Amino acid sequence: MDRETYKKAVDSLQFSPDFQARTEAMLHRRARELEKETFKMKLFRKPAALVAVAALLVVSVSAAVLRLSASQAARAMDQPLLAAAFEDNNAVTVNQTVETGDYAVTLLGLTSGAGLDVLNQDLDVTHTYAVVSLERLDGTPLEADILSYTITPLVSGCAPWAVNNWTLQAGVDATAVDGTVYYLLDANQLGIFADHTVYLAFYDSPFPPSAEKFTMADDGSIAFSKDFQGAHALFTLPLDPTLADPAAAQALLDNWLPQEGSAAPQADALAPEDIFIVTGSSAQ
Amino acid sequence: MRDVASFGTDETISRIVEQYSPMLLRLACTRLGSTADAEDAVQEAFLRLLTSRPVFRDAEHEKAWLIRTTLHRAGDIRRRAENRNLPLDALVDVPAPEAPAEADILSAVRALPDKYAAVVHLYYYEGYSIKEIANLLGVPAATAGTRLARGRERLRQMLKEDE
Repeated sequence: MDRETYKKAVDSLQFSPDFQARTEAMLHRRARELEKETFKMKLFRKPAALVAVAALLVVSVSAAVLRLSASQAARAMDQPLLAAAFEDNNAVTVNQTVETGDYAVTLLGLTSGAGLDVLNQDLDVTHTYAVVSLERLDGTPLEADILSYTITPLVSGCAPWAVNNWTLQAGVDATAVDGTVYYLLDANQLGIFADHTVYLAFYDSPFPPSAEKFTMADDGSIAFSKDFQGAHALFTLPLDPTLADPAAAQALLDNWLPQEGSAAPQADALAPEDIFIVTGSSAQ
Repeated sequence: MRDVASFGTDETISRIVEQYSPMLLRLACTRLGSTADAEDAVQEAFLRLLTSRPVFRDAEHEKAWLIRTTLHRAGDIRRRAENRNLPLDALVDVPAPEAPAEADILSAVRALPDKYAAVVHLYYYEGYSIKEIANLLGVPAATAGTRLARGRERLRQMLKEDE
């Protein structure tokens, strides 16, 4: 692709000449409205009338009759080595489904190994791969969308905003087959935590885990916040315990020790930099 | 830490809109065929910044948040339009560049899947390195590199077919 031709094409786009002025005016107006709303709330603060919306979470072990297997999904993503790995004895087939809102989220399976990605032959590092499917309960077909949802591993005993996709250098790829979306999670540092409970969280937001989305109990177990809005599911990943490397895990955590005075992110902050280790690596 | 609670001030609003609008509008146009829709996507991203008030570590973190949020909003707008079953032509109000090669290349980038188009645009237009793109999009560098390679290959095939 010719960079100069592309630049000329993009530079030829004509935007409204008053876009910036119009946008600034709209934002100033909205900022003042928000200020007034905040002031009113302070004057007339009263106990919030909370309406508990119970999310019906149905967990089942399905036969995955209509869905692709993890191996078939990997093949659909042009990953033949990985597809083969999902068929060998070290792979784990899970087929656990959570129905949440209008969706069914299924953890199909996982496997671990080195050099399985045809485009990233990282032969020295063991990667863990998991395949998750997403489909609408009413059968409406979905398109592959990696920007709307987050699929991330979480580790018990480690704050969800500290250990997740962003900090574990994990990536997600997606493809849609017959209206069902298949997500492939690739995490290259997950196995070292295999002596902990390792979760796979799916949720309707493109932003990293925050204290608004997740809670962690005293024993280190992680759950979605009761107030979380939108589709969500939390699975436990049956990792091979022999992959555990507590020293490497601790070294990784030590690199992320919080800066003095920092606080847990409450909103949709983007990145993993607000990092806190809530409990030690001994939490199970 | 950059406290974006202060985004509500007149000065910060002006700074952010002036600093990021051109880059975000160009980026949104890789997903949307209409400049009016791209403007909507960028305005929605700024509004979200105002209402959600995330805390940023530094300017790069702020930029990354805006890039991802703009892509997300642009994706929403595109899907909404597609769900209304609008023919693709109805979504396009951008005058085609005079040179056919330029028109082709822009259409080809728009036809790429989201994950490839963003990487291709940030690399070829904005001049970011693979590592910088990885940081901006929140993916490992290897993933950004793979997406660039695959996006480039798809573009090569599409542009070759048009010849």
